[in-house]
Amino acid sequence: MKASRLHSPWTPWLFLAPFLLSFAVFFAWPAVRSLMLAFEQTYGPKTTAFVGLTNLRFLAHDPFLWTAVGNTVVFALAAVLLQIPAALGLALLLNRSDLRGRRFFRLVFFSPSIVGLAFVAIMFSFMLEKRTGLVNGSLHQLFPAWNPDFPWLERYVMPSLVLAQLWISAGFYMVYLLAALQNVPGELLDAANIDGAGPWQRFWHVTLPEIRPVLNIILLLVVTGSFQLFDLPYLLYNDTSGSGPDNHALTVVTYLFQTGFRSGDLGYASAIGWMLTLVLVGFALVQRRLAQRNET
Amino acid sequence: MSLPSHRPLLRPGTLVIYALLGFFGLLTLMPFFWMICASLKTPADFFSSQFLPPGDGLFGVGWDRLSLAQYVRLFRELPVPRAMLNSIFLASVGSVFATLFCAAGGYALAKFKFPGRELITTLILGTVVLPAALLLSPKFETLFHLHLVDHYLGIFLPAAAPAFGLYLFRQSMVNSVPADIIESARIDGCGEVRIFFTIVLPLIRPMISAYLVIVFIALWNDFITPQIVLQSPELQPLPLVIFELKGLYGAEYSMIMAGTLVSIAPVMFLFLLLQREFISGLTSGAVKG
Amino acid sequence: MRALLKLFSPGLWLVLLMAVASTVLVALLPVRPSRGMQMWVFDANHFKIATTIAAGWNREHPDTPVEVKQVTGAAIQTRMLSAFYSGTPVADLIEVERSMIGQVFAGPVADIGFVDLTERLDREGLRSQINEPSFSPWTSRGHVFGLPHDVHPVMLAYRADLVEAAGIDMSKIETWDDYFRVLRPLMVDLDGDGRPDRYLLNSSPNTLFYHEVLLLQSGGRLFDESNHPTLNQPRNAHIIAQLATWYTGPNQVAAEAPVGGISSLQLIRQGYVIGMLAPDWFAGFIRLSFPDMAGKFKFRPLPAWEKGGRRTSVLGGTMLGITKASRNQEAAWAFAKRLYLSADSAKLLYEVDGIVTPIKANWHLPFFDRPDPFFCNLPMGRMFLQLAPDVPVRPSSPYYVLTQQLLSSVVIRLCQYADEHHTWTAAGLEPEAQRLLDEAQAKVEAQINRNTFLRDAR
Repeated sequence: MKASRLHSPWTPWLFLAPFLLSFAVFFAWPAVRSLMLAFEQTYGPKTTAFVGLTNLRFLAHDPFLWTAVGNTVVFALAAVLLQIPAALGLALLLNRSDLRGRRFFRLVFFSPSIVGLAFVAIMFSFMLEKRTGLVNGSLHQLFPAWNPDFPWLERYVMPSLVLAQLWISAGFYMVYLLAALQNVPGELLDAANIDGAGPWQRFWHVTLPEIRPVLNIILLLVVTGSFQLFDLPYLLYNDTSGSGPDNHALTVVTYLFQTGFRSGDLGYASAIGWMLTLVLVGFALVQRRLAQRNET
Repeated sequence: MSLPSHRPLLRPGTLVIYALLGFFGLLTLMPFFWMICASLKTPADFFSSQFLPPGDGLFGVGWDRLSLAQYVRLFRELPVPRAMLNSIFLASVGSVFATLFCAAGGYALAKFKFPGRELITTLILGTVVLPAALLLSPKFETLFHLHLVDHYLGIFLPAAAPAFGLYLFRQSMVNSVPADIIESARIDGCGEVRIFFTIVLPLIRPMISAYLVIVFIALWNDFITPQIVLQSPELQPLPLVIFELKGLYGAEYSMIMAGTLVSIAPVMFLFLLLQREFISGLTSGAVKG
Repeated sequence: MRALLKLFSPGLWLVLLMAVASTVLVALLPVRPSRGMQMWVFDANHFKIATTIAAGWNREHPDTPVEVKQVTGAAIQTRMLSAFYSGTPVADLIEVERSMIGQVFAGPVADIGFVDLTERLDREGLRSQINEPSFSPWTSRGHVFGLPHDVHPVMLAYRADLVEAAGIDMSKIETWDDYFRVLRPLMVDLDGDGRPDRYLLNSSPNTLFYHEVLLLQSGGRLFDESNHPTLNQPRNAHIIAQLATWYTGPNQVAAEAPVGGISSLQLIRQGYVIGMLAPDWFAGFIRLSFPDMAGKFKFRPLPAWEKGGRRTSVLGGTMLGITKASRNQEAAWAFAKRLYLSADSAKLLYEVDGIVTPIKANWHLPFFDRPDPFFCNLPMGRMFLQLAPDVPVRPSSPYYVLTQQLLSSVVIRLCQYADEHHTWTAAGLEPEAQRLLDEAQAKVEAQINRNTFLRDAR
């Protein structure tokens, strides 16, 4: 594209200004400021004290943080192993040219991801309740041996969170995968069919390589999303500010929130934030490297 | 697309697929059914049945035992109407702001050449990797110093500049706005602002609708930002208010479920209206780009 | 016009329409500037009392009226902390529960958002009129920041109907061992699924309160007088090991219908728990939640840990604070005294909420002796007041809630340990209990030592 001489040199800045201004004030400056805050201790934004490397040193030995990291990693693993296969399964079911009502089903599966997490938390707190909840009630009716007092939220904290997230996300990622599957060239599949490849072989050798870029993006989305898990445990376990029984619901971002907005220490919260950022950027880089290697 | 005449009759394999889809579809929708039933039941019937109370009406259901009383109560006695207004206000105005800012910014980056363009693009797109949680604390501090805490602007302004939105609009400008149309409009003496609104924006219509809905839904559902920023009860949107109702009237299941459904319904409606654009907008970044 | 409409999709126009319409509405409905003073309370019963007293006050003081609002504890906490941290609008008077106050005390004393009442209390001679231990949760570094609302002695509430129907005589029960032995026949399986449908005590490893109630009763505690954590003292380990045997294993006798939990009302109604650790406010809670169950609940002092041991404990606690942001601090103080100190408010507090006042001068009032027909004609007020001198002291450490949660973690882990090692005796569990408590103690101390603002004060 050539630079046009018909417009003033200020024109692009005019268009960019609103975005740039609010970006500078609410993203760029806070990002810089969070780096400074990591070396301070605060009691709300008014009262601050410079503490040098204390926050970073404490980070390394903070048992709550490491509990939170452990929980978050478990959640992320479960999310990757359940959400992606579930999404792919649904997408494969829907990806058939002879299927009627595909748009209807796509809508059905996608609908949970429209529901706000605050509302999901309310729904699941009712549904996972002992005795009176939908889940225990139905399971007890179908399988009388099922304990109607099965303590989902009290004892099976991670499974409850994973279950709720699966309900929200499976259809969301399915939409991406369905779009990718529909972009797989039919000729390739036909050719494989003629060569005598079975459905499994066709999926493994033709479909999978074609949708791999999208799978990679979904993997990145699921992992970064899981590492930022906050609303759901925070709201489900509101009585302990999101910690849950024996800190089983405590995630990295929940801990960050508790530190910053309950204890008022925006400094240590920022230190936690930077640790999280480094992990996520590291994951993104490694994953991109691996994806590139696979493509060549 | 295959033509209908090519479509084979139902084969056993297809039946299995329909059965599976039906099963998973039912599983997905079950929570909604349950909530709708629960919101219509009276406290006396609440624990007696999983879905609808038994009775001697059609399908063995006691239809006459259901009532809309909880919905009436939400709007008559509880602060739900104001919260609904706040939610609509925050989500609609916020999404219009964000769409305009991102579209204008994306236009500048895609269709103009100026010193610093590459640097700005890289800087902004680089921040996509920063997790929102990192900025939570310093953003609150910034809002405090700007006196925007407990102010609607404290929600709109930070939400108006997502790097991801800029990226989407820049891409779609590059793909679907030809440079010569802009040039010829300029030669015809069109003003820059007019070009943007009457020529550029209509060309990326699908993107605009999609992005508007994406931001609308995100703002509608956001819990954490309003919780930090808006402290006055009169300003608070639905997620905060319904969650507070759950705390105050924890044992009144039907009312809480009615409140939850009332809060979900508007975005569901908007989503159904714009689902095609919404889904293509969501996937455009990942699948094509 | 049609061309313009066609420019964008209908959904987009809908959003634009909403934006314009809602902007107009929001502009037309300005936030109502509140006249006079605002007061936030978190409890429905407290709300009733405060509105009743406020109605009288507003007639007498039309220029400084009080408007009472019920707000959830979580929302009070968020708004209160946000206001103290950054000056967002906040009420003049706030009723604060014990679990919400800690963070208020975590910064420098000068930054505490409540008015320091120490001098007023001394000047007006109020200190000596009020039950001294009731001040402890609201005192930080020697300064008092709230007017105490309660004493909160704990008794045992139990389902008299079920106990009596089974022909069980509770009069000889003195200790917890007696209690569980005598009531054991009540733990039956009603629906034949192989699991008991009744338990003898309303508690579980997950609870945030009941472990501490039982610890305090037995002479254990979480903090000493100077708010230093004492989580790992040997007495605690001894008691916790005992609790684990109640919560799990072949001799399990306790299960929880958590108060405030969603299904708890249903479970209590069904008799899922026979006995409940019940402070005075719990009597008010029962009356409010089960109006149709008069005559089914009775109260008696807690069974002791050892013969002759303490028969009560403490659970919960509320204060009324005046915010520094209030423009009517003097009027707020006058209203606070009217609400908390007067004889008629003591009567309301008792009748609506079941709570006995911390104002010693009011303890002689005759209504405390009146038999309560809802609770089988027991003189509830007098029974609680007789226990008041034995009520243990409550701490005010900013790390109190954290310590409570850690105690709960310890019990959860101890129960898991018991199940994994098939060790279900108190003696067998005590070493592990001690180890877990030591670990938890180290965690609290690390958090406390990290706080520069508290360190400067020390």
